[in-house]
Amino acid sequence: MRKSRIGLASASLIAVAGLTLAGCAAADETATDAADTTEEAAVTGADTYEVYALLPQGNDQAYGTTYLPPMLAKAAELGINLTITNSEYDGDKQASECEVAVAAQPDGIILWPAIADTIRPCLEAAQAAGIPVWITNADVNPEDTELTYGYSGTDSYGQGAASAEIMCEIVDGAEIGIIQINGLTGNSVATLRGNGFKETIASNCPNVTILAEQPGDWVPDKSQIAASEMLTSVGIENVQGMYAADDSMIKGGIDALKARGLDPADFFITSIGGTFLGNPLVVSGELDGTIFQSSSWDGENAVIGMYSVLSGEVTADDERVALYMPNPKVTAANASDAEVAPEW
Amino acid sequence: MAKETLTEVITVANSGEADVKKSRSALPWIADNGIFIFTALLLLFAAVFVDGFASLANITDVFHRAAPIGIVAAGMTFVVISGNYLDLSVVAQVATSAVIMLAVSNLYGVPIAMLAALGAAMMYALVNGIAVGYFKANAVIVTLSTTYIGVGVLRFFSGGSIFFGPEDGPIRAFGASKLGPIPYSAIVLIIVTILLAFVLNRTNFGFVVRSFGSNESATRLGGVNTGLVIIGAFFVTALAAMVAGWVLAAFSNTAVSSMSTGYDFQALAAIIVGGTSVFGGKGSVFRTLLGVIFVSVLTNVLVISNISFGYQQVALGVLIVVAVTVDALSRKVGKR
Amino acid sequence: MSQTQTIQIGQRETTFFGKLRLKIARRTEGRAVILLAVVLIVVSLTEPLVFTAYQVSLGRIALIGLVALGLTAVILMGELDLSVASTLAVSGVVMALIPDVRLGVVVALGVGLLIGLINGFFVAVVGINSFIATLGMLFALRGLAFILSDEAPVRIVDTDAGIAFGLALIGPLTPRVLIFILAFVVLQIFVSRVKAGREFFAVGGNRQAAYDAGIPVKRRIFTGFMISGFVASLAGVINTLERTAADPRAGLTVLLASFAAAIIGGNYLKGGRGSIVGTLIGATALGVLQVAFTLSGVQVPVQEIFIGLILLLAVTTDPANLRAVLGSIRSVLQGRLKFQS
Repeated sequence: MRKSRIGLASASLIAVAGLTLAGCAAADETATDAADTTEEAAVTGADTYEVYALLPQGNDQAYGTTYLPPMLAKAAELGINLTITNSEYDGDKQASECEVAVAAQPDGIILWPAIADTIRPCLEAAQAAGIPVWITNADVNPEDTELTYGYSGTDSYGQGAASAEIMCEIVDGAEIGIIQINGLTGNSVATLRGNGFKETIASNCPNVTILAEQPGDWVPDKSQIAASEMLTSVGIENVQGMYAADDSMIKGGIDALKARGLDPADFFITSIGGTFLGNPLVVSGELDGTIFQSSSWDGENAVIGMYSVLSGEVTADDERVALYMPNPKVTAANASDAEVAPEW
Repeated sequence: MAKETLTEVITVANSGEADVKKSRSALPWIADNGIFIFTALLLLFAAVFVDGFASLANITDVFHRAAPIGIVAAGMTFVVISGNYLDLSVVAQVATSAVIMLAVSNLYGVPIAMLAALGAAMMYALVNGIAVGYFKANAVIVTLSTTYIGVGVLRFFSGGSIFFGPEDGPIRAFGASKLGPIPYSAIVLIIVTILLAFVLNRTNFGFVVRSFGSNESATRLGGVNTGLVIIGAFFVTALAAMVAGWVLAAFSNTAVSSMSTGYDFQALAAIIVGGTSVFGGKGSVFRTLLGVIFVSVLTNVLVISNISFGYQQVALGVLIVVAVTVDALSRKVGKR
Repeated sequence: MSQTQTIQIGQRETTFFGKLRLKIARRTEGRAVILLAVVLIVVSLTEPLVFTAYQVSLGRIALIGLVALGLTAVILMGELDLSVASTLAVSGVVMALIPDVRLGVVVALGVGLLIGLINGFFVAVVGINSFIATLGMLFALRGLAFILSDEAPVRIVDTDAGIAFGLALIGPLTPRVLIFILAFVVLQIFVSRVKAGREFFAVGGNRQAAYDAGIPVKRRIFTGFMISGFVASLAGVINTLERTAADPRAGLTVLLASFAAAIIGGNYLKGGRGSIVGTLIGATALGVLQVAFTLSGVQVPVQEIFIGLILLLAVTTDPANLRAVLGSIRSVLQGRLKFQS
């Protein structure tokens, strides 16, 4: 019994080892084949680049669903072959996918960090392997930017700040209290937007006091309950305004007000997104302002940025490029304009 | 005919335990009746000490919190009582039902959407029920795998898009409706609870489910087709999850594939706290309702008091452990 | 002269092949081997990069397999340990909060042992069903991880040490893979040669008989949970070092994959049957599959459907399950006929 178990254990280990060795042997051959084909390709002038896109969301979230098609279209246009991953905001999963991507030796990596704090080993591995990295949507920490060629995308902190600016403007110096609905706890976008909003309020219009904050997890129903409970918690008479990190959540907050028989138009309400849910609310006056975010700009520019590195337009010696998505404010004045028409 | 024989068989099989119930310890009594007392105490405490708890708006919020979980938990009670731990796939089922309701009704109207949701519920019930009932596989892993498959299929077709219905549509109207001060969600919860309690306590099917959990081999000896019973239990859960999905969708007039995360464990926590034993055989739908109310009120009180998310999780975990400890200890004491 | 009568149960095999057939039939890893073979063949045809970049594949296998090995110890006894995900997260956070790396590692591992102790207490002493007890711990510990980390990732102080940890140590093998191999060897020896380890099977197979046979069941349960907790905290430490930060939300994806690996590996959830080797094979199959998925760029929902189907198949095709199905079909037919007469 014992012997057969050890026998089976060693047999399976040998089998795995044997297969991997066979794989190694095959690899040498395929490596030379691959080298031949790229040489050929370079000679004929057809440039197809192999690029890995390491994303933390995709078809599982509304933003991702509309981020991908423009990205893929642009990639096809520029002759880039994209392999896309989705780590669902799991830092360990993304790190593992990064290892696989680096091992695949692509021409470039487009990276949307799931957790900025844990992404450095991935960047270092890519640099060691000579693979250029372009960051999209959520930037890395300042000390890690040197390992990347450039960044294109939103400025989550800036979005929070812009929403705060709208709030300060419409409050116009009055002493009011507001409640804040945040995104999913621990999510970097949620944290950045939250900080951007809070710090800008503190510096630009300290007359506004944030009485309570709770997570709405990016969905309307949880936000509605959270908002309603916050109103109970701080006392409805003390609240004159509301902010949510996202249009879907502010919809929940507005519904919470309506459920209590209150008119949202009487409150100072801002959020971020400019989405299909948010834009109509601005038009109807229930939402006072939001920040337009274009998922298509984001997806396209990730590829454009990567291409600029691959084609040699941007080199390692150049200063790091940063393409920031503009943060146009959407208020009743411009809500019907075509440039802020919702995309997701 | 079969019912009487079954009762006899089970009484004989369980006779060993029955004698010892006259234990003097307070523990079995607490396990059985504790939930009533603790819920009453919690409500009293909250009404007196927590500002704003006793307002109509807040009670409405508690119901909005409790209703989807409560409906799911009431249905899942069937699976738990039959001795099969839990049905993890309720997460996928509620989200699927909500998304189908909104996405399909926007195109084809509400009745067709209901039929589609019913079809999806039946699929889940069949796969879960056959695997657990006929293949005798572990319910936790089976429902875990169906959750994966279900969520995968849902995401594949719906992506992460948020579906929303027209503001003047029937779903929104339903979601805003009230009977006097009582919101629609509470009404559906109460109706479902009464219905399911009736099925569990007064029908042959319910009786067999309970006896299955109480003593599986005795039930089988009694000539019952246990496979069908298990499929039935999962079907009840699936129907409940379907209704819960509709209630959730009506609440915000939106649906997204990620909206029901955490429902499986919250429902199980409510069931456990309510006193339904995870070992099966003991419990009732009303107890589950109490458990749901307790958990919802507790969470509501924590949020109103501005307690952070981390502490809320710890509280939930401690609650589960305490509730099950009491249950387990009372059984032990009972046996001595 | 008395004649001793022996009762022969089953046919006696004398030929070599006959004995071999019996030995293989008793093994539980059959389905895992089949899955591994299928995965390897399909992957070698579609994504040979999985083999050429074998360091990455090994790393992924080690990621899933480490926690799965610890879980196997608990599953063999017929128990479940759901808290491993949160143990992983809490250990990582604790380690990251302590400035001195070595002290941090020691404390984190101690935390894992402590959690295992608590789990064992609830299951063995209090008598709570392990599924519920570890479920409660899963919640409570996750809340603890959030509280300690202030709901955000915690960076370790010595990031260079962390990054160095992720580099290859012996040949192409990183410390993660080496620790995994070590854990496998230790656990395999424990379960097959050490008396206490072999008793795990008895505790799982028939708890009452184990008690009667004089096996210290409660002590074994404690040991099993402490192994599981220790291994989970080890995984948390490795993850935190390699990522240079601890994520309080870590662990959930590993939990699913680890259970899948253990079950695919033939470990019977009711206990008493299974093997560490089976878990290794299961983890290998899943790890290779996951890497292949990433390379192929297959959409995540499709990946999830695949894994769900594999898990469903694995858990319903245990020989015990198949016997049960045949049994129920037979009894239904016979039962119907009997009642009609």
